[in-house]
Amino acid sequence: MNGRHWLRERGMGASILVSAISAAFGVVLISASGYIGAMLRVDPALSDSETLAFVLSFITFVLVGLAVYVAAVVTANTFSTVVAGRTRQIALLRLIGASARSQRAEVARQGLIVGAIGAATGLVLGTAASFAGIVLLARALGIQGVGYEVLRPALVVPAVIVALTTWASAWVGSRRVLTVTPLQALGSSTESSREEVVRRTGRNVTAIVLVALGAVLLAAGIVIGLVSPLGVAVAFVGGVLSFTGIAVGAALFMPPLLRATGRLFGRSAVARLASENALRYPERSSRMAIGVVIGVTLVTMFAVALESAKAVMTKAAGGTLPPELATPLDAFAGIMMALVGVSAVIAAVGLVNLLTIGVVQRQRELGLLRALGLSTGQVRRVVLLEAAHVTITAVVTGVVLGIAYGWAGAQSLLGAVAANPEHEKAGLVWPAIPVPVVVLIVLATAVLTLVAAVVPTRLATRVSPVEALAAA
Amino acid sequence: MPLNSVDDMEITSTDLGLAARVQQLTKTYGAGESAVRALDGVTVGIRRGEFTAIMGPSGSGKSTLMHMFAGLDAPTTGHVWIGDTEITGLSDLELTVLRRRRVGFVFQAFNLVPTLDVTGNILLPFDLDGRRPSALERSRIDGLIASLGLSDRVHHRPHELSGGQQQRVAIARALATAPDLVFADEPTGNLDSRTGREVLALLRAASTEHGQSIAMVTHDPIAASHADRVLFLGDGRIVADKPRQTAEQISAYMLAAEQGAGLQGAPVQASAVTA
Repeated sequence: MNGRHWLRERGMGASILVSAISAAFGVVLISASGYIGAMLRVDPALSDSETLAFVLSFITFVLVGLAVYVAAVVTANTFSTVVAGRTRQIALLRLIGASARSQRAEVARQGLIVGAIGAATGLVLGTAASFAGIVLLARALGIQGVGYEVLRPALVVPAVIVALTTWASAWVGSRRVLTVTPLQALGSSTESSREEVVRRTGRNVTAIVLVALGAVLLAAGIVIGLVSPLGVAVAFVGGVLSFTGIAVGAALFMPPLLRATGRLFGRSAVARLASENALRYPERSSRMAIGVVIGVTLVTMFAVALESAKAVMTKAAGGTLPPELATPLDAFAGIMMALVGVSAVIAAVGLVNLLTIGVVQRQRELGLLRALGLSTGQVRRVVLLEAAHVTITAVVTGVVLGIAYGWAGAQSLLGAVAANPEHEKAGLVWPAIPVPVVVLIVLATAVLTLVAAVVPTRLATRVSPVEALAAA
Repeated sequence: MPLNSVDDMEITSTDLGLAARVQQLTKTYGAGESAVRALDGVTVGIRRGEFTAIMGPSGSGKSTLMHMFAGLDAPTTGHVWIGDTEITGLSDLELTVLRRRRVGFVFQAFNLVPTLDVTGNILLPFDLDGRRPSALERSRIDGLIASLGLSDRVHHRPHELSGGQQQRVAIARALATAPDLVFADEPTGNLDSRTGREVLALLRAASTEHGQSIAMVTHDPIAASHADRVLFLGDGRIVADKPRQTAEQISAYMLAAEQGAGLQGAPVQASAVTA
């Protein structure tokens, strides 16, 4: 590893992009909430500005934490994939005397450098965007007299956190380095098709307990919600717990779903090759999908919660929702959807990247298939179906979860409120599904699938059977 | 099968009893000073129903010749026929379909698709063609699976098989479509000698019992001694064409050729040409 040539390795650019997005997101959110806080302090009409400022900081904290979490999953996955591709190189270094620990530390160090570059870029871009945003907003709304200094030490916090989590993710993702033996530098070129099955019983049990506990609390929240709006607090805790469980147990929950999607594609050779590829490294695919699931779930959740809440309130108001209620609700949900959508974007970057690395690491197999009679058209379809496999599974899962959570939220909050002018309680209401949002999500899935397939397709169709088979 | 029209009196591969042939085949890599001529005007045919070994040291052009024969690589000049079909100038898609239907492959290593089980790998040429094997083909494939000792392995994945078993699956796949020609590229290169002998016996049996035409590239005299015919390549040319030989005869010939080349001071071709 001389110099910085590893920075040009496939996967590093995407990791820099992921950390830059999350750092910039953190910077922009801190600036935005700080600016809104300053606005509130200036406005004498708002007496309770301290509480609002606290709520804003809390939301900022949660949203940035979410983005950083998704980014960490993506980065750990990227590094573990990159390390898998470096097995021979690592084995060679082990053969000439490098220790496994030093090799792993080297990978983690690369993570720190990647994270630092991304975080610094994100800090600069986020700060510039904050400046521009505040100037534009002040001009557009005619706000004056809000003395808000954009440059402040707090902005460095998300950048530092991102750099450190990227470092930690690279460390987590490089676990496999420890299993590389020096002999693998000499051994035959036949590659194992299977990921070493690591039994993570502890993690799986944690995931199941979290999901079960969360589901119980969600149900309790809904029941309590029938008599008191406080049910939403119980349901919120249940939602956080169960969703954390799903994210932690991705490798447990996603493979069966991926397998089910694979069956939809039929039994043709192309479909079978594609769906087997998506399941070849179940953990890798699960983590690749779970980031997208998180983003889509949250976007859908806000949309469904809003729509359901509006439906209940419309009924309560006797047919039409007063605009002074509808406008802020729409605005809030729209902003929240856009903000959680950032995590979906981070996850999408990771997905595109991992599919590409996957194709690069499969050159020999593609060469074999080309020799045996897989046409370039079929290669294209395999790669496209493989991308579709992961995106469709992730998005459908996300939409279903989002509808469930959104409904649970609205139900637990509004079950006890007056549902009509006669002051009857709303009781159980159907989840209202906002069609435009769902259509948007489906379109985004299609675009993501196509984008995710572009680079890998180009690489895969360029494979010459002779060269691929010669590369031992 | 396109046949010659009356006014085209050119002789066909079938007339010659050949499964495949090349004519005046030249392959040059690179250009100018650094150009390497991997094949230099080779004209040869693979006889139908025979087990032919293509021998030569590293860099002799034997792998390049096989790639041309199999439609995996295009010649710089010259012509290639598989059966009576001239494949020079065919599009990539046409070549792909031709390989799928009329050529079988057994490589040295990494022969099988790791995500498919044994059945999936054997039926891959049919699946890629979007069809199921006919009843006749199905019974032949079942016969192959049984005779290759794979009956209790059909649902195993490649990583669950030994090296010898993997090669037997590759042989079953190569024979499944009853192709015009099976190419075997160092099929025993990764095997211990006993397993290697078994694989060679299986190839030989396919040729003698089912009339399968097989061309095997190898640098191992023992492997070549199983063949009906041995072609020797050197510096991109056919230097000898001999009937069945013992391993000793082959070794002696190669040693003499090597020493002769050394005495004349002829530079050995860059070994980068072939893998």
